[in-house]
Amino acid sequence: MARRLAKTDVVIIGAGWTGLTAAYELAHAGKRCVVLERGSYRHDADDFAAPKEHDELKYAVHHAHMINTRKETLTFRNNASQQALPMRRLGSFLPGVGLGGAGIHWNGQLWRPLPSDLEMRSHYENRYGADFIPDDLNVQDWGVTYDELEPHFDFYERICGTSGTAGQMADGPREGGNPFEGPRSADYPNPPMRQPIGPTKFGEAAQKLGYHPFPLPAANATKEYTNPYGAKLHPCTYCGFCERFGCGYYAKADPIICVYDQIKSHENFEIRYQAQVLRVEKSEDGKTATGVTYLTDAGEEVFQPADIVCMNAYGLWNVHLMLVSGLGKPYDPKTRTGTVGRNYAYQTMAGVNVFFDDQVVTNPFMGAGALGTVIDDFNGDNFDHSDLGFLGGGYIACTQTNGRPINYQPTPEGTPAWGADWKRAVRENYLHHASLTVHGSSMATPDNYLDLDPTWKDAYGRPLLRMTFNFPENDRRMADYVMGKAHEIARNMENVTSTSASNRAAEGSDYSIVPYQTTHNTGGTVMGTDPTTSVVNRFGQMWDHHNVFVFGAGLFPQNLGYNPTGPLMGVAYWTLDHMKNDYIANPRPLMDA
Amino acid sequence: MPTYSRRSVLFGFGAAVGLASLPRHAFAALDGTPFTFLTDSEARSLALLCDTLIPQDDFPSASQAGVVDFIDLQLAGGYGRGEHLYMDGPHPQGTPEQGYQSPLRPAELWREGLAAMQTVIGPLEGQPQSALDQLMTDLSEDRPALAGRVGAKTFFTELHALTNQGYFADPIYGGNKGYAGWHMVGFPGAFGYFTDTVDAHNRPYRQPPMGIGHQPGTSDFNWER
Repeated sequence: MARRLAKTDVVIIGAGWTGLTAAYELAHAGKRCVVLERGSYRHDADDFAAPKEHDELKYAVHHAHMINTRKETLTFRNNASQQALPMRRLGSFLPGVGLGGAGIHWNGQLWRPLPSDLEMRSHYENRYGADFIPDDLNVQDWGVTYDELEPHFDFYERICGTSGTAGQMADGPREGGNPFEGPRSADYPNPPMRQPIGPTKFGEAAQKLGYHPFPLPAANATKEYTNPYGAKLHPCTYCGFCERFGCGYYAKADPIICVYDQIKSHENFEIRYQAQVLRVEKSEDGKTATGVTYLTDAGEEVFQPADIVCMNAYGLWNVHLMLVSGLGKPYDPKTRTGTVGRNYAYQTMAGVNVFFDDQVVTNPFMGAGALGTVIDDFNGDNFDHSDLGFLGGGYIACTQTNGRPINYQPTPEGTPAWGADWKRAVRENYLHHASLTVHGSSMATPDNYLDLDPTWKDAYGRPLLRMTFNFPENDRRMADYVMGKAHEIARNMENVTSTSASNRAAEGSDYSIVPYQTTHNTGGTVMGTDPTTSVVNRFGQMWDHHNVFVFGAGLFPQNLGYNPTGPLMGVAYWTLDHMKNDYIANPRPLMDA
Repeated sequence: MPTYSRRSVLFGFGAAVGLASLPRHAFAALDGTPFTFLTDSEARSLALLCDTLIPQDDFPSASQAGVVDFIDLQLAGGYGRGEHLYMDGPHPQGTPEQGYQSPLRPAELWREGLAAMQTVIGPLEGQPQSALDQLMTDLSEDRPALAGRVGAKTFFTELHALTNQGYFADPIYGGNKGYAGWHMVGFPGAFGYFTDTVDAHNRPYRQPPMGIGHQPGTSDFNWER
């Protein structure tokens, strides 16, 4: 029998971006918050400083900031006819653990969704007709609009000290920004990042072809900056150690410096480390949650009662917690009923390698996670889909994120993988290469989903989450099309000696859990206005248990062609707004089922 | 059975390919200490395999840059023990898309794989380079008998990855001696501060590399052929 603690107003599962932000906002609204973090305390100043942090083997290869699969992982298969097998080591995506969660090792590419992205089904049906969306795609509206989220996107951009160039202000378009973005209430708080030669040449070629290049929006400060919570950020050093690393320069925004430091001393805030939540407990009538049971560092099971449960784990683990706790109705692909685990989606990645002659010296080690030049001409519905046979799109970015030499070894097509010719090619091309990324959307289908595995268990005796996923035909076509556009730009760049394109979702190749693609797993706990196709309502509140609020990219009905952190934080602030200004005073379902 | 210091193990190989002299900086720090996990015989075989992947040219081969030392320490440490590897059974065979499914911890996998291939093709020592090249091609194309129950492709994947890591990881891990890998490509190391140079287009960056445990005066590249 678990030891029962004194009740708290709010228990928050996970100390990443959404969990710490929920704690900040709800503590200031007068609610006593207990944050449960399964990992340890860590801090930018003490734990992420160079040169020690700049250890590619430890952090980028051995994943020292990420979850340990020995404790929890998932099983994976491409389709329901296969046996799912454990993801025994990390590869395709890298969920985090510890204070700040995955928010400390992100690249800081900070986007907003397009207005049409959030009303995807309605938008496509209005523009292309009711039959345009095929039956085998579970495309849905989010249930919330761009105009409703805009103030929250803006606020989060200011929390991060975001650097960029606005494209659409209230008084009209701005030169040098993204002309396709939704209207903004304010410009970015910081000027854009300085662009290296590769992205500059990409921008020139894209412009020549009639596209609209702009600097990638970055959650890295470019000057001294103080965020709305009072956190101070310093200018980015372009050290080339963003993704998979914490930032010791206080330049890349993360949840520790931007949020935790500003709430840690508040009387309503408490955080407990090495607190592994095992399940969410329900009331006898099942209508509400009563709190959570967790395992302490000493191995003791503890029950923390709470009036409100906030689920702020990484999206995949929120699904897992719901399934092992009996929250909501699990999705059944045979009957296509139930919602928990439904609409799991990913990110469809393709790319083009560009090799320059010796005139161009790229110095790839001068990088940042969100350093680059990008076009949005082929994202979302920014281009006519009438005759293309697919929905969605992606941005095309020429980024310079790092030159870390274990993982950064670009070689031209046809180079062998080892031996003398390989060695020469690595040496000759390291300083003369640029990479174009096609960052594509991912549509949900009835056959891609998450449930519990019948065979393997985690370190706490719970069944592992089981992922069934392959690239939908729609996304294969989308990625090929946008990659073709990227390749055209690459061929028009100056000083180019060769190019090679590759599509992870190419026809005939199955999604693989092995090579890193992105940590952008979405869906499984999707939001919406219909309880038969969503787990939470448009406020992030569970339909089945009104005092459970869910955060993160698990809420995305299908995945965008953008990196998820900006969109999911906009939704998080929207949810918190409705909790503070409505739910807390009058706890009840905020929408009728 | 004679015993070999690291230097003599690797020097023996260097001499075999006609190397006139080794760089003074290579292996010096670890010379004379026994290997931690590998036997001397395993170390010699491994040097041949690693040097097939990264042969000597204007820059050192893998073993000359300390890659065997690196792999030895990795096998003796968290990697070899499978510290971040979910090991619960059963272990059915999977598809390539499902990744590593071996019931063996990496240290066991390397030992078994090295032994199994020499059972099939005989000792690696003394084989001409063309035979070693063919062996590597076979491993990479998953000719299954070559690594026994380990799986040829599985063995190749680990060998290829760790050889590469050893050549390019920070020297604190025992490889990348004298910053050989970093000199080869032009990577300046762990002290990046490029606010004023990131947009100085096409300007070569000439600072010598510095690693996490950098000692002043040790960046110079004095590889002698």
